Amino acid sequence: MRFKRKSIYILLLVLLLSLPAYYQSTGESFYIKGKYIVTVSHGVLTEGIVKIEDGKILEVGQNIEVPEGARLLHVPNGWVLPGLIEAHTTLGTGDRSRQSESDETSSPNTAHMQILDAINPFNKNIKYAAQAGITSVMITPGRSNVIGGQTAVVKFRGKTVREMAVHSPAGVKFSLGEGPKMTYGRKGRLPTTRMGSAYVIRNAFIQAQEYSQKLKVFQEKKKKDTSAVPPPRNMNLEILGNVLRGELTAFIECYRVDDIMTALRIIDEFKFKAVLVGCAEAYKVAEEIAKRKIPVIVSPIGVGPRRIETQNASQENAGLLAKNGIKVVIKSDDALGIGTIRELPLLASLSVRGGLDRELAIRAITLSAAEVLGVDDRIGSLEKGKDADLVIFDGDPFHYKSRVIYVLIDGQTIFSQDLKSEGN
Amino acid sequence: MRKILLSLMCFSFCVGLSAVEENTIVLKGATLLTVTQGTLENGTVIISGGKIVGVGRDIKIPDKAQIIDVSGMIITPGLVDSHSHLGLGPSGGVTEDNEGSDPNTPQLRIIDSIHPEGVAPHQYSFKDSVAQGVTTVIARPGSGNVIGGQSAALKLTGRTVDDMVLVFPCDMKMAMGRKGNYSAQGRLPVTKMGTAYIVRKAMIDAMEYKKSLDRYEIEKKKNPQTPPPKRNLKDEAMLQVLDRKLPVHIHASPVDDIMTAVRLADEFKFLKLSLAHAEESYKVADELAERGVVVVVGPMMIAFDDNGNLINLADFLVKKGVEVNIMTDADVVQQEFLRFQAAIAVKYGMDPLEALKAVTLNPAKLVGMSDRIGSIEEGKDADLVVFNGDPFDTQTEVQMTLIDGKIVYVNDEGEVKEMR
Repeated sequence: MRFKRKSIYILLLVLLLSLPAYYQSTGESFYIKGKYIVTVSHGVLTEGIVKIEDGKILEVGQNIEVPEGARLLHVPNGWVLPGLIEAHTTLGTGDRSRQSESDETSSPNTAHMQILDAINPFNKNIKYAAQAGITSVMITPGRSNVIGGQTAVVKFRGKTVREMAVHSPAGVKFSLGEGPKMTYGRKGRLPTTRMGSAYVIRNAFIQAQEYSQKLKVFQEKKKKDTSAVPPPRNMNLEILGNVLRGELTAFIECYRVDDIMTALRIIDEFKFKAVLVGCAEAYKVAEEIAKRKIPVIVSPIGVGPRRIETQNASQENAGLLAKNGIKVVIKSDDALGIGTIRELPLLASLSVRGGLDRELAIRAITLSAAEVLGVDDRIGSLEKGKDADLVIFDGDPFHYKSRVIYVLIDGQTIFSQDLKSEGN
Repeated sequence: MRKILLSLMCFSFCVGLSAVEENTIVLKGATLLTVTQGTLENGTVIISGGKIVGVGRDIKIPDKAQIIDVSGMIITPGLVDSHSHLGLGPSGGVTEDNEGSDPNTPQLRIIDSIHPEGVAPHQYSFKDSVAQGVTTVIARPGSGNVIGGQSAALKLTGRTVDDMVLVFPCDMKMAMGRKGNYSAQGRLPVTKMGTAYIVRKAMIDAMEYKKSLDRYEIEKKKNPQTPPPKRNLKDEAMLQVLDRKLPVHIHASPVDDIMTAVRLADEFKFLKLSLAHAEESYKVADELAERGVVVVVGPMMIAFDDNGNLINLADFLVKKGVEVNIMTDADVVQQEFLRFQAAIAVKYGMDPLEALKAVTLNPAKLVGMSDRIGSIEEGKDADLVVFNGDPFDTQTEVQMTLIDGKIVYVNDEGEVKEMR
């Protein structure tokens, strides 16, 4: 007993020591000056400056004085953006040559799984993505299970998942359509059909409602009788209860219009907070999504394997959804780890070709993503008080020849291109 | 109002275009990226009988020609994807390109798996690819088997696969490395050496088969009643490799697999070896250059060395003297995005014209068709793409695509106008 307490103290001490080591308080200010400061929240500042201290943004503006001798990074041709956010990925949970760690396919409902337990912070793809300006992502379970598990918003830095995590659990991953059908249909197990998938979700939610009710009854009983026995804990139903109470967002991956409408039907029935993911055919029912004010995370058409359920994908999808007033987030869909995530801005620019407003396309990989993931108090724009996650391009981020030359996460340099050799 | 006028114009334009079949077409006033003869500003291409019959600035325009004003546009040769599984089934699902019953299937022919419009997951894949400027693909068996079968170069037009064939067979597809499908069953090959053995065994079987054919020829002269040896489709197919009639294309990513492929090519004196993916080829670029091995880069365009430095594979290899093709590996990257793949190479420093070559002339050379496709030259097939800007820019749209002199795609909201 004594030993146990001692080890807890040691653990606490280690934690306390390691925290400041990471968030080093130097008290030193760091100034970044570029040709354009794309704040996302407050427009674009020409020849602007971002002032950073202790890993946070202290000030953003055009008339910030840089004291003599202060640390200043001036990139005359630089476009300074908030760190880019990939809103939905399995990156970091295994790679192409190894078994996927993101799908616990022993049951179609694994809401109790935490993706945090599947992430390898040393996965090389994490570093390579960070060097391309992707500073935060939401890592999610895959699409094989109807209810995959709990997602996590992480930053691409740190040696442990605890250091990486910004918001966990950030939500619960659901999947409709071919994913679960292919996984369980082959085994002849539920769900082999789309109606089977819908049933798995409805049944789980109804059980979660009953479980919540039992807990409520127990709480009442306990007030009168202190020896009342609580119902046995159920990790799965606890999490689903959180979804039903709106404490956790449901991220529902669905592509075809029938799957999208199934998702909406279930949302209408159980009234929880949801985001639709994938949404290849969403443009066909944009008004249905718009009237429920549900945001979408879409993959641009193009790079990434096309599947049966994405064959009607359209380059115009994101633009049409935005025109209907839907909040649009763009993800890279780098399911195979072939490096597409590094080209997130170019993929967003494909949506611009398809009619999405340029500013909204930038927002779709920064602030809109942060809002949908529930982390916009910390990341997504260049604003006073937010984390100093910045990426500097040597030109228009939507032009294919522009490259990332500098990446900062929490004020720490993650990547720095040798500026001189670039001939700037 | 303007929109209506525009659409009226488009409508009449489309009607005008579709009405003309075998007539002479003149594309006038564009910047021509010829690939073999440099860049020609304000150039004109004359097309007749499916061929390019004139390229130049001040060339005589035939009287009865249909003239299309493409001023301000950029014209490239039709894009060629060197490694594609287009129309062969969903990635990760049930596919038509991996005959998983036997790791050694040289007798299989990819043309027997192809639907001429494309199948699920992308029903209209051929049409959509043409709309993004891809005119020819080299369709290949997958990498589930060690010897997958015979590849085909196909033009993306035609009602039947036979109409589409440009070259068949164009090479033998093989794949190094572990084969999960078989190792899971405890069947050969469980290891990489098992994989190499299967290729060696197939080559040696073909040698034996050849001997029996030769013996038969001798015996027959003595005794016309001699029965021929039993036909063996596998050995017949591999005989083409052995006799240096058919090049070999090998899937190999890590450096050990790459060098195993090279060793096999050395041992059996392959006519020509090309490697697919070859992510670690930068480690042995000199060895590959020396042997004239072609590397088909993609879908991963960028590698990172052991110190984490970025390697722009296509560019790195070209600078080392290796001939490079760029691929999508469709549907890993969708077929339409061949130019996006090339754009990534340009982004990290590859010369744009070199990148264009890697998706036009170089793959044409790979299948022995550089006299027909891959550049804008007199006498070549009129496979052309009209872009309204830099072909690699994500904002650039294809305006028009021609295959064998036929307009197979016109952008509905396009900017190309007919003059006469």
